[in-house]
Amino acid sequence: MHRPTLWAAAALVVLLLLLGLLSLLVGSGSTPMGRAWDFLTGDPSARADAQIRLAVMDVRLPRTLAGALVGVALGAAGCLLQAVTRNPLAETGLLGVNSGAALGVVIGLTYFEVTSAYGVLVWALVGGMAASAVVLLLAASGRAAGSPLRLVLAGSALGATFHGMTSYVLLGEQATFDTYRYWTIGSLAGIKTSETYPLIPLIAVGLLIAFCCVRPLSALALGDDSARSLGHHPGRIRLIVAAAVTLLAGSAVALAGPIAFLGLLAPYAARAVTGPRMAGQLVLSALVAANVMIAADLLARVVIRPWETPVSVLLAFIGGPLLIWIARSQRMSTAGVGA
Amino acid sequence: MSAERLPEGAAGSAPDDVSDSAPGSAPDRAADATPGRVSYRASGAASGGTQGSAPGAETGGPDSVHGRAQHPADITPPDSTAVRVGAFSWLFPYRSALAAVGLTLVIAAVVSLATFASSTGMSFSDSLSGLLGTGDSATVMLVQDFRLPRIAVGLMVGAALGIAGCLTQTLAGNRLATPDIIGVNEGATAAVVASVVGSSTGMIGDWWLGPLGAAAAAMVVVACAGGAGSGGYRILVVGIGVSTVIGAVTDLVMSRENDNTAGGVFLWTVGSLSGRDWSVGTPLSLVLLVLVPLSLVAGSRLQLLRFDDDMAATLGVNVRRVRAVTLALAVALSGVAVGIGGPIAFVALAAPVVASRLSGPTRVPVIGSALVGAALVGAADALGRVVAPVEIPVGVITSVLGGPFLLWVLFGKNSEQTGKA
Repeated sequence: MHRPTLWAAAALVVLLLLLGLLSLLVGSGSTPMGRAWDFLTGDPSARADAQIRLAVMDVRLPRTLAGALVGVALGAAGCLLQAVTRNPLAETGLLGVNSGAALGVVIGLTYFEVTSAYGVLVWALVGGMAASAVVLLLAASGRAAGSPLRLVLAGSALGATFHGMTSYVLLGEQATFDTYRYWTIGSLAGIKTSETYPLIPLIAVGLLIAFCCVRPLSALALGDDSARSLGHHPGRIRLIVAAAVTLLAGSAVALAGPIAFLGLLAPYAARAVTGPRMAGQLVLSALVAANVMIAADLLARVVIRPWETPVSVLLAFIGGPLLIWIARSQRMSTAGVGA
Repeated sequence: MSAERLPEGAAGSAPDDVSDSAPGSAPDRAADATPGRVSYRASGAASGGTQGSAPGAETGGPDSVHGRAQHPADITPPDSTAVRVGAFSWLFPYRSALAAVGLTLVIAAVVSLATFASSTGMSFSDSLSGLLGTGDSATVMLVQDFRLPRIAVGLMVGAALGIAGCLTQTLAGNRLATPDIIGVNEGATAAVVASVVGSSTGMIGDWWLGPLGAAAAAMVVVACAGGAGSGGYRILVVGIGVSTVIGAVTDLVMSRENDNTAGGVFLWTVGSLSGRDWSVGTPLSLVLLVLVPLSLVAGSRLQLLRFDDDMAATLGVNVRRVRAVTLALAVALSGVAVGIGGPIAFVALAAPVVASRLSGPTRVPVIGSALVGAALVGAADALGRVVAPVEIPVGVITSVLGGPFLLWVLFGKNSEQTGKA
């Protein structure tokens, strides 16, 4: 493997572990950092304290885990989507996953009287998957099937349609609207283990598919004709990759609500280190996104203490300027466009 | 980046956000990029595909194009007629003129149907005579004082959105480059939403907050992108960045407001013409009276910018100034429209695409976009009043119908051109 990529990956893993530890120690509420540390190092008096156990094991641990999962999923999904569309602007929201998930949540809340957080999660997942299935079918049918532009256009066009339907349902339903507007700002607060674990297999399958697609995707980067002459089937690759993206992004949206930017930015940062190497890009994107996600969640707990900022708002504040900076840098106008 | 320099123009060409567009055809088209010949090729290629779909389609198919191309003296584009009077000559674009006439008829139909759509217990002929001022005085008053203002505002908002979309798409050489994406909608929305914060009434602020917010957002975007002239691509990315930040602020404000306020603001953020009358219609019409002629001038200048910057400069265009003015016009137009009607989705994206299908690929369809936009918003608003027992806001209609419609336009007839790129 490419040496700088390895170093970056190692550094990111270390950073992720440190951030994860910090995320267990720091939090809103009155549990002091020192006591949390005592708890983690096995201090008997801290272990016996039910309040600390609750804060660390039942509140912060699931939240940290969910943050890492969401980050890995969004980073990998963004990287895949950008590679498969050959469009550095491609983002998971473009496949209609986010708006489909939102529509799913709203339908669940309004017509099926879903109340639990777990129910919302299931509806988000179903909505996201259904939406991207429709987008994929549309993009894959007819002439010029599976072309990159077609995928993006179909995604954004149908995404807007789903958004319109969501608005329509919301207009008549005050109660749904109130739940929806908290869901839509995206947050990790109050995530439970029972909500996180069922999504782990989905994300794992998505990542597995992603890594199986590394070689075909690298071939696809050379253009459809070259990929075909190397024995790959561009249309089929796109379909498989899009399925992986759906699994990853759908799970992430279900867990934390629609989170903008991460899927757009992490691959950028990864490309800056790896260049065109697909496997490195994928690993680094996932790691960068996980780090950013946990860091943003940490910030979200402390910036306006004792309240919490939604992590998606924080990410937008961090990601927006960063994206602008990238767009202005030289890399964007040379390597970025062709990537 | 060569794709955006292709002389096919915004709507006719593939968006350049996908970098591998038309690798085979780009060099040989760019190689002989003289104005006359370029328009032959571009229009000849496209007219073969659009012939069936465009009402009032052109007479000159691909064959006649090539037939004429053999006479170098005659460089009339296939969708225009040269009118020569002595030493003067003028190109009469009959195809786009035909399209404009057709669209005007469509708008007339939309207006009469929209008048009828809002009526309860009034026959179509009654509403029509009310519209024309020939019915009894009560009907005339009802139609002209209460229904017509909203319809007129809708048409104007649609026209403004259409023109704004046409200008930005042409400017960036990218069909996805609508005012929505360069932060204008988000800026206007944020300004209006922010005006609610701290106000005890929970009422939405004045309409001029929209254009103000739009202008501020666009200024931030342009400043961050380092000017409008640095290629179509960078400004899109920067626009997405700024929009998301502003959108996050809006979301945050919405989540902090109490339920009644948030519900009221939500109706506006969807895009609605409910309750709009001459109090906003009059300033809107005055603004349009100034901006539309300017946009026409900008459109004709932009036509020359379809060649590369050097070529445009040779033809006597101040490239930087044209870009800046065009962008300012687009921001002002969409800002006003969003301030009054809310961010009505898809019109700015769809109207120029449809308009250029109708009027041919060789020109920047400013008037066509305005007419298509007006027809779209007018029809969507009317539709929203009749399809359900409760009124559906125009923005919901445009976004629900806009997606499939756009797919149909993009992937339907010309999918070899648009889909493959």
